[in-house]
Amino acid sequence: MLLKSLDHIFWLGRYLERLDDTARLINATSHLLIDSHKDSQFSWPLLLDVLGQNGAELLSQLPASDLTVEQQVMGYLITDVDCQVSIRAACTALKQNARTVRQLIPRDMWEELNSLDLFLQEHCQQLQGRQHRYRLMTEVSRRCQMVVGVLDGTMLRSDAFDLFNIGRHVERADMTTRIMDVMVLQQLQPTDIKRPRFRWTSILNALGGVESYHYYLAHQNTEVDAVDYLLTYADFPRSIAYCLHRVAASAKGLPHSAAILQRVWQLQDLLKTQNLSELTTGQLHQLIDQFQTGIIELHQVISTPNLELSKDLSQQMSA
Amino acid sequence: MGAKSFGHYQQIDQCFDELVHKDGQIRTPAAAIARFIDRHGSGELIQRQEQLNQTISAMGVCFTLYSDGNNIDRCWPLDVMPRTIPSSEWQKTSAGLKQRLAALNLFIDDLYHDQRILKDGIVPADLVLDSRNYLAPCKGISPRYGVWANICGTDLVRDGSGQFLVLEDNLRVPSGVSYMLENRTVMKRVFPELFADSFIYPVDDYPHQLWRMLASLSPRPGDVPCIVLLTPGVYNSAYFEHSFLAQQMGVELAENTDLIVQDDIVYLKTLHGLQRVDVIYRRVDDIFIDPEAFRPDSVLGIPGLIKAWAKGNVSIANAPGSGVADDKVIYAYVPEIINYYLGEQPLIDNVPTYLCLDKKQRDYVLANLDKLVVKPANESGGYGILIGPRSTKEEQQQMAEAIKANPRNFIAQPTLALSTAPTLCDGVLEPRHLDLRPFILQGRDLYCTTGGLSRVALKKGSLVVNSSQGGGSKDTWIINDEV
Repeated sequence: MLLKSLDHIFWLGRYLERLDDTARLINATSHLLIDSHKDSQFSWPLLLDVLGQNGAELLSQLPASDLTVEQQVMGYLITDVDCQVSIRAACTALKQNARTVRQLIPRDMWEELNSLDLFLQEHCQQLQGRQHRYRLMTEVSRRCQMVVGVLDGTMLRSDAFDLFNIGRHVERADMTTRIMDVMVLQQLQPTDIKRPRFRWTSILNALGGVESYHYYLAHQNTEVDAVDYLLTYADFPRSIAYCLHRVAASAKGLPHSAAILQRVWQLQDLLKTQNLSELTTGQLHQLIDQFQTGIIELHQVISTPNLELSKDLSQQMSA
Repeated sequence: MGAKSFGHYQQIDQCFDELVHKDGQIRTPAAAIARFIDRHGSGELIQRQEQLNQTISAMGVCFTLYSDGNNIDRCWPLDVMPRTIPSSEWQKTSAGLKQRLAALNLFIDDLYHDQRILKDGIVPADLVLDSRNYLAPCKGISPRYGVWANICGTDLVRDGSGQFLVLEDNLRVPSGVSYMLENRTVMKRVFPELFADSFIYPVDDYPHQLWRMLASLSPRPGDVPCIVLLTPGVYNSAYFEHSFLAQQMGVELAENTDLIVQDDIVYLKTLHGLQRVDVIYRRVDDIFIDPEAFRPDSVLGIPGLIKAWAKGNVSIANAPGSGVADDKVIYAYVPEIINYYLGEQPLIDNVPTYLCLDKKQRDYVLANLDKLVVKPANESGGYGILIGPRSTKEEQQQMAEAIKANPRNFIAQPTLALSTAPTLCDGVLEPRHLDLRPFILQGRDLYCTTGGLSRVALKKGSLVVNSSQGGGSKDTWIINDEV
């Protein structure tokens, strides 16, 4: 595989996961917010915050219109091609990366990616009502899963396959920490006392993990909550522990596996050494910050193996 | 069976129709298609065309157009009606195509070595030596098997009698083969019953044949050869084809920055370090591949590549310099070239051609600009052509000036009554003109595709088949008529 292709195939995995996660997040949050028994003080702009945008600021810049806040937020998240976290922008980036590494991906996957792109171009042009939106986001998610399934069934087990999977799991870990950060921790008053048990299980919907959360609760000796679950429960495919495990497993054959594994171990150590239930909300917040920084560093290590390679190159050049 | 299968299909008088005899009878190879239309009606054809378009768009079969400085991916245009050719005829045609490429390669090898053909006065020396496609740095170099043009796309047309004639030889970076392959994939999805009902020869071994030919060029026989396809990049109009072929052959798709030359060895920058490259299938024009050798201003090239190639450390297909035989003036001499090297008569004739560099022929051309097709010697894509009967007096005047200023640069041919085939136009089958581009490979062995890419001029009466200028395509079925 070409050195140059590394970034493209890694980003292909990240964007595909981002598309899936964003669609899930939109649907889960919509369900939460239209529920008459609201168990939170969330509002629509929070969705933008989860995706790394400043929701309040973005909306305040919009010209006055008849649109509700919900519609404005959905405009940003779904149809706006210029908003870098939108469904459409993620899909465009996905397609561009796929085009660049087309020789590495199986024909069936190429066709799935194509039909995903065509589907979004056709259906994500205009905002529609909630019911339509729900179906649309479900379909986006389903089509993303189709791509993954086709890939799993047809792609050569190669560096490209590993990098694609690393991309997916780095993105997923990133999304899980964001959701924890914005939807859970920022809602808690920072205190020095032990954090209160929080029961916002509806948030787990965004991660498709409500049922397995109940299974988890039923099978633990100690008292645990969603924070333990999302961080440490390695059997749940959207937990941080699982994502790190998958990154490590996929990185083994890469030339810079040592550097990647070192980063992964550092993050895994963060999980092991802390007694999560003893942390205050403030400390927990710090921990999540450390994870987010760690994930950014992990991304950099993955996408820049040229520190070693360029030395390798120059040695060979002078030889 | 009557032509009623094709509705009120009206043939064009002087033209040979690929599917229908002059008397309106359906040609035997097209019988299955006619049965299909009889059984299902022409409405079904319109529906299948719709399905076909959707399939093409879902498969992402596209070509890139440059427009206002932007690159736009367009869906590849494929007509629902296939073009049929009997296998007995194709056998002879394919033998003629192989004969032609074998002779052209002997010709190129001669030009870069002893130049016997020039000394013997068969081809005028200045015609070759003054050509911008004759690359002096290639003199004395011997590519494997003495073969320079390993991949050739030869454009064939039929005249009014139905005889195949060679229109031109594309020896530089011929493109289109991916569309031949994808057309077939699409048609099989859309017309499974027609494939079950006829004996249509498959085309899908081309990527393997291409790989085999490239592998046969490796300077390190015995080892697993490292083959790369060199592309100008994602913004090139043929990028779809480059990535398609790389994927189908399982080779790396490299840009110039992915390759590096050290001690006259070419390396690929891979994830695991440098890997020695044995064969480069270049889809970049040869004058751009090495700024040290040809164009210092080229940003596409790989410095030192030509030196590595000259030393025999890497093979390049097509070899740099092979474009010298891809020249519409040289084209006029190909029948003599075949005779000179092989001692054989050409199995496929040329289109009659007037050379403007010859005074007598030039005078004839200038006097008959309204009847002839005039072509510049070194353009491709259908650009710069004057089609006499469809041109204005001003255009003829401009062409006359251009010819007088640079006679060597122009040839003229009679306006051919290109063959036609029924084509779905606004829901009705109408005759449209078409050509055929088969692809011929030469390494250790010679190979010719089964059929090729049929390109069709979609505009009524038009003779221009290029996709960049409103042309479409048809799947080409070589049908067994020898059982």
